[in-house]
Amino acid sequence: MPLKGKLTLVTGSGRGIGRAIALKLASQGSDIIVNFFRRREAAEKTAKDIEALGVKAEVIRANVGDPAKLNEMFDTIATKFGHLDILINNAASGVGRSVLDVDIKAWDWTMNINARAFLLCAQRAAKLMEGRGGKMVSITSLGSSFVLPSYAVVGISKAALEALTRYLAIELAPKGICVNAVAASAVETEALKFYIREGLMKDIRQATPAGRMVIPEDVANVVAFLCSEEAFMIRGQTVVVDGGTSVAPFITVEKEERR
Amino acid sequence: MSVEEEMKEIVAQIVHVDKSVLTREGSLRKDIKADSLDIVQAMVAVEDKFDIEIPDEEAQKFQNFGDFINYVERRVAEKEKV
Ligand SMILES: NC(=O)c1ccc[n+]([C@@H]2O[C@H](COP(=O)([O-])OP(=O)(O)OC[C@H]3O[C@@H](n4cnc5c(N)ncnc54)[C@H](OP(=O)(O)O)[C@@H]3O)[C@@H](O)[C@H]2O)c1
Repeated sequence: MPLKGKLTLVTGSGRGIGRAIALKLASQGSDIIVNFFRRREAAEKTAKDIEALGVKAEVIRANVGDPAKLNEMFDTIATKFGHLDILINNAASGVGRSVLDVDIKAWDWTMNINARAFLLCAQRAAKLMEGRGGKMVSITSLGSSFVLPSYAVVGISKAALEALTRYLAIELAPKGICVNAVAASAVETEALKFYIREGLMKDIRQATPAGRMVIPEDVANVVAFLCSEEAFMIRGQTVVVDGGTSVAPFITVEKEERR
Repeated sequence: MSVEEEMKEIVAQIVHVDKSVLTREGSLRKDIKADSLDIVQAMVAVEDKFDIEIPDEEAQKFQNFGDFINYVERRVAEKEKV
């Protein structure tokens, strides 16, 4: 139980990758604050599943894109617990449009939830980690460095998130806080199934060198490592979890060759 | 102002339409061409205005603007009772 007695906040952890991370860290002994925005039932189910692992779970609703709501969430954490050990910045939203169709509303919405929220969460979390150190891990995507269809504003927000990760890692290093990010390629979640169904993305299961798509648990495993003491010397990095796709852009993998 | 009137103001402002095109029978998505961002922003603005929560699980059941108004009216009435 490497995380026994720790307290973790996972933003957007009612479903998808956030849920998998919450369950993984709970299985390592951490109590979990499950933050959600619109799907209360999903968040409460995640909290129940966390408690079944023998740790505590607290559900807090907050739109992390709204500074007032984000601050209320941290006020609750501060009064109820008085500290925080791990911050997982996972919540994300976005508008699937080409660059020329991105209006101010879509830009602000996406940047506020995906990038600014980490700035504000990190500022509040750093205070709650004072004198005890901590870990911060953000979830980003290959869209920060590569061009994905209808992904412009999300990709841009993720690039900002990764830059913020580097700056925070250095500024928070003297406080014993490790800051890193995990970048996944397409992960099999509801969001992705939507993209494939709508024809916004090709079904890439066949094209992953590792032979299958990344699943939420693959991301959660790397997050758990970055939250462990073994990862102490990793700072400001974005670790890619993509089954090899990004380093082999010119290779089409045949099913038989993979085995 | 009634709940319905306040909701019309909020939605009209977010979707950039005239209040007069908002009817109880109409669908925000199909009839006034609100996109998913408009809809979520309208939900959030209505929640903030009336200090209530509209979970997605409930919102998904709305067939038209009238269902949305009915839900909010019910929640506001419940709150006032407490
Ligand atoms: N799926 C992929 O292929 C993929 C690939 C690379 C990176 N990622 C990244 O991985 C992370 C999780 O993605 P996912 O696929 O699991 O997404 P998802 O299934 O769409 O879930 C998004 C989560 O974020 C929460 N959320 C959205 N907006 C929020 C807000 N304003 N405030 C608080 N919470 C909010 C949602 O809460 P509710 O449930 O309450 O709505 C939900 O829990 C994101 O950062 C995403 O960019 C995903």
